[in-house]
Amino acid sequence: MSDQNLTAIYAKDLIKSYGSFRALKGIDLQVHSGEIFGFLGPNGAGKTTAIRCMLDMIRRDNGIIEIFGKDPQTESVAVRDLCGYLPGELRLDENASVKSILNYLRRLRQGGKDCSAKISQLASRLDLNLDSKIKNLSKGNKQKLGIIAAFMHKPKLLLLDEPTSGLDPLVQQIVLELVKEAKQSGATIFFSSHVLAEVQSIADRVAIIKNGEIVEVGVTSSLLSKRAWRAKIKFVSDDSGRGAMIKDLEGVTVLEVSDDNKIFDIGIEGDVDPFIKFIANFEVDYLEINKPNLEEIFLSYYGD
Amino acid sequence: MNNVLNIALYSLRRSFWIILGWGIPLMLLGIITIPFYDLVAENEKQLRPVLDTLKPFLKSFIGGDEAEQVFTPEGFIALRYFAFLPVVMGIFGSVYGSGLLAGDEEKGILDFLMAQPISRAQMFWGRLLAFFICLAVIIGFGWFGLWLGVLKAESMMFSPIKLLLPYISVFAVTWLFSSLSLAFSMVMPSRSAAAMLSGIIVLAGYIITTLSKAIKGLEAWALFSPITYFQGNAMVGLELNLLIKLLIASLLFIAFARKGFGNRDIRVAGDGGWKIPLLDPR
Repeated sequence: MSDQNLTAIYAKDLIKSYGSFRALKGIDLQVHSGEIFGFLGPNGAGKTTAIRCMLDMIRRDNGIIEIFGKDPQTESVAVRDLCGYLPGELRLDENASVKSILNYLRRLRQGGKDCSAKISQLASRLDLNLDSKIKNLSKGNKQKLGIIAAFMHKPKLLLLDEPTSGLDPLVQQIVLELVKEAKQSGATIFFSSHVLAEVQSIADRVAIIKNGEIVEVGVTSSLLSKRAWRAKIKFVSDDSGRGAMIKDLEGVTVLEVSDDNKIFDIGIEGDVDPFIKFIANFEVDYLEINKPNLEEIFLSYYGD
Repeated sequence: MNNVLNIALYSLRRSFWIILGWGIPLMLLGIITIPFYDLVAENEKQLRPVLDTLKPFLKSFIGGDEAEQVFTPEGFIALRYFAFLPVVMGIFGSVYGSGLLAGDEEKGILDFLMAQPISRAQMFWGRLLAFFICLAVIIGFGWFGLWLGVLKAESMMFSPIKLLLPYISVFAVTWLFSSLSLAFSMVMPSRSAAAMLSGIIVLAGYIITTLSKAIKGLEAWALFSPITYFQGNAMVGLELNLLIKLLIASLLFIAFARKGFGNRDIRVAGDGGWKIPLLDPR
């Protein structure tokens, strides 16, 4: 049982199968109230299944799931009342107008003038014409409608499945700002994305899901600090003994060396200072050092 | 309750063109068909011997032993206007009933709506209420057209209330097929499969009921056909027990559908393609 004030999402041994296919194989997850939580995984890993279990659109086979201490299966209306949801693939009634759909959703939420004002404010910020017909909207503009629907009632928990999908870079930035603002006003944000740089930039914590199992979960900055920096260096002259000297440096791993001993691909764990001081003794043609990023962590689970 | 009404009103607005698309043709059917009775009445002497020479099998398709009632105003309306209406409206009910929830579900629309603070029960009853009103309005169009047709015919004189009686039976049969199709859509892999099966039952029911007038062996089977309980001749008296039987069957199908919708997973867009297992390579 979770503490409903401190824990926004609590899942324990959550299992869900579709026929003989097991989509979630016993997920354990705890999302703290007020944090931005990134949920990473490729298509088919179980991200959407987990989110749909949270909203009681699908029924779990086993395990526990709670949203602010409420079981979505027995208190579905109360849970949905707390949530704003943006599905990964937003489908809408093509013959309706943006305004009529948003008004319908507002009425379903018993939203008043505040909600209407928020709709207008978000539409103006995202540059969405409320009078447009859905069938005339681009994918990006439909996504904007979904974002307005998710944010319009200032929910306690935002469940965003690929929120920036189909949006241009400028609008993507606005959406990320909205997410940050929601966090500042006390909301919890649980979102999945394929854009790992985006998750890295805003998520307090992340979880990686693979084949229906959580394989990594932690504070984004700690996960990154555990990973090696990557450096690519090209020396002007060849020196066959230099490779061994680099290998002897603390925390340094030589990943690849060119045949002429000029180009090195290097992994550096921990402090990069000894490596920089070492290469200062040589004439360097070029040097490229990359901070560890979520993509590397992600690919370490999914790469060959 | 508030959200049931919200859902019903929004669904009704979406059904605007369906209401007009079915209601207006049904209205025109009455306006065009009924005045023909004047011609039939005028030519009774010539037509009656033709009717007498028909073999029972062929005669069963134009009313069987009741075929001669076509020369009375009530009989004409029952045989020439209402005879095919349960089939037409049964197909309408099958298509609409199967799509009531599964249609939006397969399009992925329901996924988004069900994320709002509404229960599955509210969504179910809201959509069903919308369909009830939608069907009532379509029936209303048909009834109005029938009344206009009667006004146009010189040798007919019926009150609008009397003309409404067979339409109550049309409503009950359509409601039953819609409920059946709705129930199928909750357990079958796709909306189209549910509509197809329900449509087959409509047509099979019509054929069995019709042929049972000529083939005695089909009489027992006809008891299972909803069309048997249809009262196209209700202008001479509406039998409540037949209506109640249709209503009870509808309620059972609705209860089954409600349970199904309450307990199962909501599909996302693209789920539920109809496959014949033996022909599916997977």
